[in-house]
Amino acid sequence: MNDSIRFNIKIINQLYEIERKASQKAEMHSIQRNIDRIKNMYEETGLFIHDPLGESYNETRTDCEAEIGGDAVQNLFISNVIKPIIYQKAGNSKNIIQRAVVIVESKT
Amino acid sequence: MSETINFAIDLGTTNSLIAKMNNGSVEVFKNPTGHKETLPSVVAFRNERIIIGDKAKEFIEKDPNNVFSAFKRKMGTSENFFVSSLGNFKSPVELSTLVLKELKNFVYTGEQIESVVITIPASFDTIQSNATKKAGYEAGFKEVTLLQEPIAASLAFANKNNENSSLQGQWLVYDLGGGTFDVALVKIIEGEMRVVDHEGDNYLGGVDFDNLLIQQCILPYIYSQGTFNGDLHKELRSAKGKYNSLYYLLLKKAEEVKIELTNKDTAEIEFEITDDNDKLHELYFSISKNEFENCIREKIEYSIQLIQSILERNNLSSLDLQEVIMIGGSTYIPLVKRLITEKLGIAVNTSVDPTTAVAIGAAYFAGSKTKSFAILDEQDKPFNSSNINIRTAYAKATNDKEEYFTAAITGEIENLLYRIIRNDGGYDSGLKKLAERISEMLPVVENTNNSFTFSVYDSSNNLVDIPYTPIEIVHGKYTVYGQPLPNDICIEIDDREENTTKLELIFEKNAILPLRKTILKEITKTIKRDQADSLIINVLEGNRYAVPSSCIPLGVIEINGKGLENDLVKGSDIEITLEISESRDLKIIALMLINDQEYSDVFNPSVRKVSLTKLKDEISTLLKQARKELNQFEKTEQFERAIAIQNILSDLEEAYSGVNELGEDDVTDEKYFWEERKRKLAQQLDITGKEQKLPALKEKYFSEKNFCERELKEENDTARLNRFETIIAHEKEYLGSNSIYSIQAKIKELEDLVWEVRRNKPYVIAHNYHYYASQPIENFKDQKKAQQFIQIGDKALERQNYEEVWVAISGLYHLLPDKIKDDDRIKGTGIG
Repeated sequence: MNDSIRFNIKIINQLYEIERKASQKAEMHSIQRNIDRIKNMYEETGLFIHDPLGESYNETRTDCEAEIGGDAVQNLFISNVIKPIIYQKAGNSKNIIQRAVVIVESKT
Repeated sequence: MSETINFAIDLGTTNSLIAKMNNGSVEVFKNPTGHKETLPSVVAFRNERIIIGDKAKEFIEKDPNNVFSAFKRKMGTSENFFVSSLGNFKSPVELSTLVLKELKNFVYTGEQIESVVITIPASFDTIQSNATKKAGYEAGFKEVTLLQEPIAASLAFANKNNENSSLQGQWLVYDLGGGTFDVALVKIIEGEMRVVDHEGDNYLGGVDFDNLLIQQCILPYIYSQGTFNGDLHKELRSAKGKYNSLYYLLLKKAEEVKIELTNKDTAEIEFEITDDNDKLHELYFSISKNEFENCIREKIEYSIQLIQSILERNNLSSLDLQEVIMIGGSTYIPLVKRLITEKLGIAVNTSVDPTTAVAIGAAYFAGSKTKSFAILDEQDKPFNSSNINIRTAYAKATNDKEEYFTAAITGEIENLLYRIIRNDGGYDSGLKKLAERISEMLPVVENTNNSFTFSVYDSSNNLVDIPYTPIEIVHGKYTVYGQPLPNDICIEIDDREENTTKLELIFEKNAILPLRKTILKEITKTIKRDQADSLIINVLEGNRYAVPSSCIPLGVIEINGKGLENDLVKGSDIEITLEISESRDLKIIALMLINDQEYSDVFNPSVRKVSLTKLKDEISTLLKQARKELNQFEKTEQFERAIAIQNILSDLEEAYSGVNELGEDDVTDEKYFWEERKRKLAQQLDITGKEQKLPALKEKYFSEKNFCERELKEENDTARLNRFETIIAHEKEYLGSNSIYSIQAKIKELEDLVWEVRRNKPYVIAHNYHYYASQPIENFKDQKKAQQFIQIGDKALERQNYEEVWVAISGLYHLLPDKIKDDDRIKGTGIG
């Protein structure tokens, strides 16, 4: 991974955090359009951001690094995302260049 | 075949690694699904799978009946672990065997490893050592050589610096990892490196530091910011506690702070918490290196006490020791190095990556150790072949987030395991027992091709030779209309420099529908409110390298000044969103950012919209181009081609007058007829003389490329050389496209790059200056000012002050009238 990709990953993580904060405040919803625009610009360069919040989780998901909260380990879902998954386009497919860092909890 | 062992494994309590000595250098292999060199020494038995490493580690605390770690500490004991999901016991040797087998998968070269060096702690007795050997044999290695970890680490340092002299006498190996601490006294006795004494604590490491940071720095701050009536610490750490989820977030944040403080004086931490009054607090504060060090100082001092007890036992003082070699991730913390230097007065050596030092040192040893068992020739080696046949069934295209995969297996499958890994590293089924019928739900990434690797392993985790079984699942729907795009979809934008328009790729040929993309473009001309001028968003289907007028128009939005709420100012942005549905409807949404005015329209192949303004502009451009080419062919006496161009020219003139006769509100199909005609004529014009123009253009391209490369290398301009590589990266593609336009565009890019380098050379500056200064004075708009600039330039040249010469050149340039009259400019799209 070169320095430029590393740098972009850092920026994307900050962008993700800005998006998360903006989504919690009604008065900041207009920022979403700019955030989407930046994400589109990244997609132009072949970097795709995926937010796994709310998705189900089990031990086969190697696209996330998880910390599991609570005491149940069945029916797990991603309850908090610290860093999103970042893919890089490679030909017709994509490679993961950053695994998400997530907190996982049981639905039950 | 190599006669030395070469492969080495650091079988750690917390993490394990595998490395190989290869032609004098050591390679530490990475986890194919995690890209990390370390594999957590954790094994999980969950949902009929065996999971080893990072994923297993996540479940340690939550599923202790099925997930096992730190079993290395129990090696050589009769203690076994009961696995509740299996209903039977696993010994520490069996668990270590699974870790060793998993490490084999890191070796991407596919080599069968027969001999290996495995490291063991200095504290291991004979029974524990033999247990480790047994694990090695059960993992399928034919020869296992053991090496003590402190010796391995010492070898890594000795080989790294090539300073064998530094390892004369005796030294300490200080190993502070994620969860364990060991220190060993190593000495050379009669030419042999030996561990003389050792000490350790199995519950001291980086994780303790993270917890101390939460307890001593973060918790007091939380208390000071809100109302928390209960025991916050308990609520965080208890599985049923109100803040248990936050605890795991804080652990991650504390680890980040710890890492940041290794090279910074302060680190910020940020999180949210709701207090007992239901008030949400956004907490953001700094933790200084000093505060962090105060938290962990006691622990580090305790590790130093252990060192002192070794020294006392061996009647040594600090002066008797050469140095302290540091290994283990926690030795990155500056306080560790500082306290050891201060308290013991011994030099600290941190020249080798502390995480991989043991594996690297062991690999050096393996590279020097000859295999002791009979070496078979490649031909004689038994091939791990099988008579297995696999029939798979799954949907090759899906719109779901996961797809059902099943396979029927025939042949001898007893004691075999299978594993499915998504090639992007996002899914790993773990090891599962191979049966006559197997099935998995495979998760897929949206809008892309998902490739999976299906592998079968024998009981030693060696790959079994099976028929090639690719699993390819495309996400995105194939329906009657929803096939991949047959052509590139582009937007037409202005190329003001070349006074023409060009295509910009939006969706690539073969992309799977539906598609959506938003781009941000700049408006290249001011459109006044209530004026007739317009901005044109023209979406075309065709080859991205073709001239725009030869492509099929899919949809166009014309933003006329008459409908504007405000003026559209040149340089402001326009956001364009293009959507193509599965049934090929094209939706264009344009949003003017200057006034938030939005335009949108839906187009489909059966309802083609043609902009008359655009059509006129295009025919006019084609006319100019045809006249220019006719002129050239006549000059060079290529009469046959000239006649062909003459015919195109007549047809274009006919089209131009035909379009001019149409009113803006014409309701007939005639504009479609002329649009089609124009497209055909553009294609003819593009083809005529192409066979003659292309070779010359390609020759020009290569000559410009060579010249550019030579200039950049001469200047040793790395940044521009990188740009040069980017420009020529798709050379094969654009030269192969036979598109005059795209080759010309590349030549232009190369010329611009050369100019950037040459423009600052004194002789080029002087030449430019003389060119402008020698223009007849009456040509300048303000002759007095021009005289002044010439005076400035002459003096600057004398003094060889080239920056000032540039000022004179720029001044003179701007005093010259514009060469190109506005009338000659294309109307264009207004988007660039």
